[in-house]
Amino acid sequence: MILSDLQKDALGELFNIGVGRAASSLSQIVRDEVSLSAPQVTLAKTEDLTSTLLGAEFSEFSMVSLDFSGPFDAKAMLLFPERNALTIINSMLDAELTPEEMSEFEQEAMCEVGNVILNACISALADMLDIEFLGGLPEHHFGDHQTIAAMSADQESVVLLLQIDLLISQKLIEGRFVFLLSIDSLQTLLECVDGFLASQGMV
Amino acid sequence: MQAVESFLLESMQVGVLLLDAERRLKFWNRWFRSHLANVPEFAYGEYVEDIFPEICNSRLYAAIDQAEKFNLSSMLTPGLNKPVLPLFQKPADRKINRRMQQLIHVIALRHEHYKCMLQIQDVTATIKREQRLKVQSSQLLDAANRDALTGVGNRRRFDSALQELVYQSRQKNTPLSLLIIDVDHFKSYNDFYGHPKGDECLKQIAQALQLGLRQDSIDSLCRYGGEEFAILLPDVDRETAFNVAERLRIQIEGSRLENRALAKSPYITVSIGVSTLHPDSPQPVQALVTTADLALYQAKEAGRNCCMSYDMQSAKTSYVPEHG
Repeated sequence: MILSDLQKDALGELFNIGVGRAASSLSQIVRDEVSLSAPQVTLAKTEDLTSTLLGAEFSEFSMVSLDFSGPFDAKAMLLFPERNALTIINSMLDAELTPEEMSEFEQEAMCEVGNVILNACISALADMLDIEFLGGLPEHHFGDHQTIAAMSADQESVVLLLQIDLLISQKLIEGRFVFLLSIDSLQTLLECVDGFLASQGMV
Repeated sequence: MQAVESFLLESMQVGVLLLDAERRLKFWNRWFRSHLANVPEFAYGEYVEDIFPEICNSRLYAAIDQAEKFNLSSMLTPGLNKPVLPLFQKPADRKINRRMQQLIHVIALRHEHYKCMLQIQDVTATIKREQRLKVQSSQLLDAANRDALTGVGNRRRFDSALQELVYQSRQKNTPLSLLIIDVDHFKSYNDFYGHPKGDECLKQIAQALQLGLRQDSIDSLCRYGGEEFAILLPDVDRETAFNVAERLRIQIEGSRLENRALAKSPYITVSIGVSTLHPDSPQPVQALVTTADLALYQAKEAGRNCCMSYDMQSAKTSYVPEHG
């Protein structure tokens, strides 16, 4: 299964609107300007999602995930290499923590940051595609690419992969946005995207 | 609400609020009411922002809005949010306006009467414990990274600082310099005065080095080995690093720490090896230490009480001979 150029552009645009909303919410939390951008969408089979596809920095990462359901079901995940996650937390909490010092308290804060970004993207999808979801609560894990595969109940699942660049306190932090969904759910998502494109007179 | 459901919610030891699709309060449980500063007589059916005006423009309000509009759930953690609801652990806390630390889950519901549930946990005790542990942990970390004799950083601190600063120098595209300082003829000093005096001497050298460093570089001074000290200087080029080394060498000589072990010099002196790693150089991290060591060796060969700087580009060392 592949994405057409139009579908790719539309998804990229939808996520860009989402991260735009997330940036303003995050700025409110840190009381400093935060900017976010999400270029290029890639589609891959979950089993092909190795650290090569994610990038060398992503051998081990901090991950916030949440499930949502609706016309299609998916698990939305936000990944940051451990060092980057620490930079975010230290900027947000105005602290200088080492990885060993990262306790439940900071993991919860990381969870909230991921929650803000993921919810903003999902709400943008719901808005633009004119569909309704029900979103669950976020969870925080440390893991590697196998953790993502382990999250999938379905053998034949796919992932939509986006790079996310977060600029916070003048530091550029690179992360990945991963959308894990079944083939059926992807089919439905793409139908929604096609519907959106048609409504814009693009098809 | 069914009697049994209401009974269960009333018995829970966390705060529970139920809102309808218009953000109107449909239910709050006993735990929540009992921790409120004031319980209004008529609250059911009121807009949540009218009951708690201060939540307007807060993250909590945005999260409720997101649950109402998009059925999305959120969590609000005490790390990133001030305690937004007027909840108090003890009655006495109300007088001094000390609110309980709150972990709030805003959960979107699919129900005909209820659109959103707020679940509030009191995490005051957890946060206090966290703060205590953090203080302890930073004290322990500090002790683990400090040299017990001289009070400056130890080898462990040096090794981790080296990794971190090399990473930063490559990120920021700035040079990183290293000074390795060795006390001249320290073995004969120890043999002549005995080890307790030798220890005392190392302490005084560490102090003198600290005096010679700028405030922002003091932390980078580490005891590298027996009578060796190391200083990492981020964003400092080869020439400046050499000047710092020379200043420190003069500082030590000028401290006039008596040394009668050898006839040739009446005071303690040091030799210093300097090397600089450029961010674009393909050299591995360890090359910085190896080359500074090489420069130090050459400073010893050149008669001690001098500084030598290694040039990575030409792979040669150069030096300024001892002054007076």
